[in-house]
Amino acid sequence: MKNYPLWKVFVVFILLSLGIIFAIPSILYKEDTGSWYLDNRLNLGLDLQGGSYLLLEVQTDVLIKEEFENFSDTIRIIAREKRIKINNIEKINESLKVRFESSDKLKDIRQEFLQNYRSVKFNITNNIVSITIDEIFKKTIQDSAIKQSLEIVRKRIDESGTKEPLIQRSGRNRILLQLPGVKDPERIKDLLGKTAKLNFHMVDDDDAKSLSLNIAPFGRMIVSDIENAEIKYLLEKKSRVGGENLIDANASFDPTEGHAVSFRFDTTGAQKFGKATSENIGKRFAVVLDGVVITAPVINSAITGGSGIITGNFTSQEATDLAVLLRAGALPAPLEIVEERSVGPGLGADSIAAGKIASIIGMILVCIFMILIYGSFGFIANISLIANLFIIIALLGTIGATLTLPGIAGIVLTIGMAVDANVLIFERIKEENTKNKKIYETIKKGFDRALSTILDANITTLIASLLLFVFGSGPIKGFSITLSLGVIASMFTALMLTNLLVHLYISFNSKKEINL
Amino acid sequence: MFGLNKIIPINSDYKFLNYRKFFYIVSSIAIFLSMLLLFFKGLNLGIDFKGGTLIEVSTKNTDIGELRDILSPNFNEVSLQEFGDENTIIIRLQNENNQESIETVNKVKQIINNKVDEFRRSEFVGPTISSELLWKGFQAVSFALFAILIYIWLRFEWQFGFGAVVALTHDVLFTLGVLSFLNIEFSLSTIAAVLTIAGYSINDTVVIFDRVRENLRKYKKLELLDLFNMSINNTLSRTVMTSITTLLALLSLYIFGGEVIKPFALTMIIGVVIGTYSSVFIAVPTLLVFKFRPQDEDEN
Repeated sequence: MKNYPLWKVFVVFILLSLGIIFAIPSILYKEDTGSWYLDNRLNLGLDLQGGSYLLLEVQTDVLIKEEFENFSDTIRIIAREKRIKINNIEKINESLKVRFESSDKLKDIRQEFLQNYRSVKFNITNNIVSITIDEIFKKTIQDSAIKQSLEIVRKRIDESGTKEPLIQRSGRNRILLQLPGVKDPERIKDLLGKTAKLNFHMVDDDDAKSLSLNIAPFGRMIVSDIENAEIKYLLEKKSRVGGENLIDANASFDPTEGHAVSFRFDTTGAQKFGKATSENIGKRFAVVLDGVVITAPVINSAITGGSGIITGNFTSQEATDLAVLLRAGALPAPLEIVEERSVGPGLGADSIAAGKIASIIGMILVCIFMILIYGSFGFIANISLIANLFIIIALLGTIGATLTLPGIAGIVLTIGMAVDANVLIFERIKEENTKNKKIYETIKKGFDRALSTILDANITTLIASLLLFVFGSGPIKGFSITLSLGVIASMFTALMLTNLLVHLYISFNSKKEINL
Repeated sequence: MFGLNKIIPINSDYKFLNYRKFFYIVSSIAIFLSMLLLFFKGLNLGIDFKGGTLIEVSTKNTDIGELRDILSPNFNEVSLQEFGDENTIIIRLQNENNQESIETVNKVKQIINNKVDEFRRSEFVGPTISSELLWKGFQAVSFALFAILIYIWLRFEWQFGFGAVVALTHDVLFTLGVLSFLNIEFSLSTIAAVLTIAGYSINDTVVIFDRVRENLRKYKKLELLDLFNMSINNTLSRTVMTSITTLLALLSLYIFGGEVIKPFALTMIIGVVIGTYSSVFIAVPTLLVFKFRPQDEDEN
């Protein structure tokens, strides 16, 4: 072809073929086939296929508070052993102030305390001790809490039967979850909302006075019943055995007690459990989950096998979920759901259908308009536009991008804006046409003059779109991706494909004139 | 082909800039009113930025009134609204407290479960998240304006950058004013729309500036006013054409794209009109403030 280099024809041909080849899987196939080529598809975002997005915050403040409670308990125990009286203990901001009756032996106390807790600051001024923690200590606690939480959240989600979940850390103390296809987000939220800290404590039924006054003596704690908060139990503060020693838990059915959870301890757990039950036959043993008593049965005989069942008016679902929680283990700190976005499959399907209609009608309107205004050249621009769409879809599919509802909006918008580069070129050619007599020179000048304008105009759009990507979340990122790819693809199609087609048109046009 | 390409003549010669004072006044009033609206009425912030709960349901054998009667006694701040058709209803709850509200979703679902065909969507945004999202959105828009300024400055002259940013700020404020006036919900996707408008408007402005730069080199003797008028006329048919195709696509999105995308499409439509206006009537006249001819001054 005259005046159009052959290598450019090849480039256009190859890129266009690639565009069509890689767009086909996204357009025609819905399910994974296992084939490398066909699985290069567009992923649908949660807002289109339905599913839940959850952002969880790990309540690390609770851990810091617990840490200070441990400090306070430890120092009481040490003081009691050394027979030193403590006047009072109070927590002020990020430090614990302990006022002793005298300043004797405080150095000994410090030495013993620091054996338990390294990297804690322990300052003595006269008879007052202040215990403080620094930022590094806090950060270590937080980091390990997030890591553990991630692990446990992953186990719980896997156990819940969600397919292809995305679970990742987000920022300092958050966990981001994307759960495609989840139909019952409430159940997932229930599973995640529980810390699932399980402990077995002995019940102190001898001290009725403390219980009636609602004041727990040292080494004891008062805990409510899960069914009725009015019912209180006085328990030993130190647990005999805990959920960390569980190796298995399953929902089961007990003929007399109904739905239950059967569990099994590891060797250590079995030993502790066996010891506690054999020493306390006839007394009550409380099963405490997340700070409430689920059940407190009387120990009839020593349980040495390391397994047992927990009962407590469960429904079948509750028993199953409790078993899941116990198998996955306890969270180090409570999780708070700070953001949720769930979309049902109905809305997702409606959005896809609406998006398709909007794209097709938008496309038809733009195409008709272009032909009305530019005639044959409009037809050329329309071919470029369609090629542009194929390329966008192929790119989205191959980079594994996710198509969201705003993403569809981005594509529709691209349809409107993509013809811009063509318009710029045609307007230039139209202008040059009035000055020049030679047809190929007119076309060349038209393209050359339009080039820098097209670049400048599109790069500014790309800047805005890039910032959307950086600052946007989920679906908005999808919008910025389709818009950016659309802009890039439109530059290619206008400068290469339209150029080729215009040359083709001229060489087949016997009159050799530009009718613009 | 159909002769429609002659709607805008090649040698159009409209004296846009001669009426610039009129457009300055129009825009100033618009911006002033927008700021008044933003200051006193504010934007209709959605749950993305205000926090709260939103549940979309499709109902069966019930209407919005009945649902309202069922929900109102149980929740303080509940509002219901039909969404597209009478069987689709949006329930909004403003939250005072985080934890309370994630449970609110469950509670609402339990209460109206037997009236509902499908829970189409439920969203909950906690207060810390909503303020973070607002801050991020603000950052995105500011950085975008700044980055565009830098780019125009590098590619053109700083005077052009100034003109572009004046026009962009005008577009953003004016659009936000219209959003406030029409009470259109301001959400994350609105931020995306505003940024896209910025991108579109600057695109338009750059095309005209590009021509101004070219003409400044070509016609060294021409009065600046005439030169600017000529540049606008040179690019006029392109400006109009691209606006029309973009608006056609957006119109299709607005009408057929579904309820969820409507506010986004509407915001874009408003923004594209404002952006096109500002490129011609604000961005270019701003260049008149600078009395010298960029670049050429030292060459001659």
